[in-house]
Order: sequence, then C-alpha cells, then structure tokens
Amino acid sequence: MNIKEVIVTINQMQADGVIDRYAIGGAVGATFYLEPVATLDLDIFVALHTAPGSRIVSPKPIFDYLTSRGCKTEGEYIVIAGWPVQFLPPTGPLVEEALAQAVEKDVEGTPTRVFSPEHLAAIALQTGRAKDKARVLQFVEAGVLDAKQFQAILTRHGQVARWQQFEKQFLSDKP
Amino acid sequence: MTFDLEKILASKRAYRQTLAAKPIAEKLRMLDALRERALAIRQDAPSFNVARETPSKYRTP
Repeated sequence: MNIKEVIVTINQMQADGVIDRYAIGGAVGATFYLEPVATLDLDIFVALHTAPGSRIVSPKPIFDYLTSRGCKTEGEYIVIAGWPVQFLPPTGPLVEEALAQAVEKDVEGTPTRVFSPEHLAAIALQTGRAKDKARVLQFVEAGVLDAKQFQAILTRHGQVARWQQFEKQFLSDKP
Repeated sequence: MTFDLEKILASKRAYRQTLAAKPIAEKLRMLDALRERALAIRQDAPSFNVARETPSKYRTP
C-alpha cells in the first residue's frame, strides 16, 4: 500500500498519453496542506480524452491501460499499489478551474499536481457533506487559506451565500 | 498532564500543526498506515446496521 507508487503510475500514464493534466483532490489532496486526513480512497481529477470519432468522454482508456498492467477494478475504483483510485472528470466550472490551476508538488523527487488549498476548501464547501464541512474548518483553523484568493473563488463560483451560512454556523461566537 | 481544557485544546492544536508541517512524503506514508489500520478495524468490527453518509462526488448543485 503506497500512495507514492500510485503517483508514479499516474505520471507514467500521463507520459504515455493516456491522460492529459491531472490533479489530486479529496482527503489526500488536503493532506498536502493539513495534518494527514484518514481516507480509504484516492481522488484523481483528470481531463479525459474523447474516444476517436466520438464526443463522449470515456474512462475506458485509463481502465484498459491500468488493467493491462495488472491493476484490478473494484466497482468504480481501480486499485493501484493497494489504493482504490477513482478517476473523476471535472463536474463543473469550480472543479475545472481547480484542475487548470492545480499546484505542482514534489514528493521525494516525484512530481505531482494537487488542487490549491483554496480550491480544495471551496469544493468541500460546495459538496457540503458533514465531512466536507469538517475539512473546510480544518483549512480555516490551519490558517493555510489565502483569504483574498478564497473569496475570489467563492465569488466566481456562486458560493458566497453558502460561505456566509457556513460562517454563521461554525465560525460565529453567537449561537 | 493537565485537566485544564484550554491547555488540552492548545496542545491538540500544536500537535496538529506539527503533523501538518511534516514533509509531504512522510504524511503520505502516514496515510498508507492510517488506511491499513482503518481496514483492519472494519474487518474485525461486527456488521451492525449503521447510518452512513451517502458519498457525493463533487457534483455541482
């Protein structure tokens, strides 16, 4: 079980032209900025290729590439180096922007890309489950968000009202 | 050792900051270990009918 090995495999997949730009999101992405956040899977956001002669975006080339190299599928996941990995296309403008502006990182000599902390927090706010709200709080408490940049993202993607509600619920001293 | 809640919370915050400041490769190795531990706990846990949160994969509203 080794996340670094997953990153090496995905970099190779990119070098082989199976995927374009990718970025790590979710709890593993958050761990680049926060204390380690326990998770059972790894979210990789990718700009997927359309199949030749088709306008439909398909994850098939990814699955074909990885299964031919011995990886097993488990539902919508594919297991790489012991980690269930989910390849996710950007599902809206916020995630598209997060992918386009992902930050280059280095893991002991292995390059990778991760969503910025501001985008991770904005996506968590938008997703809005209990654990996502907890993650937003972690980002706020850790002081890793650039307030100006975060506010700009919220404004661009229509999340200001949601943020105000979040602030009132979790960051206000008044009940 | 203290039972002063303020001190306990401050100590927890400091520990989290220490963890957050570790090199990323070390933090990723921690994730590997945390996942193995979580899987072991799930495997040994009796299968109760428990409420679980429905996963939602970054859908825009």
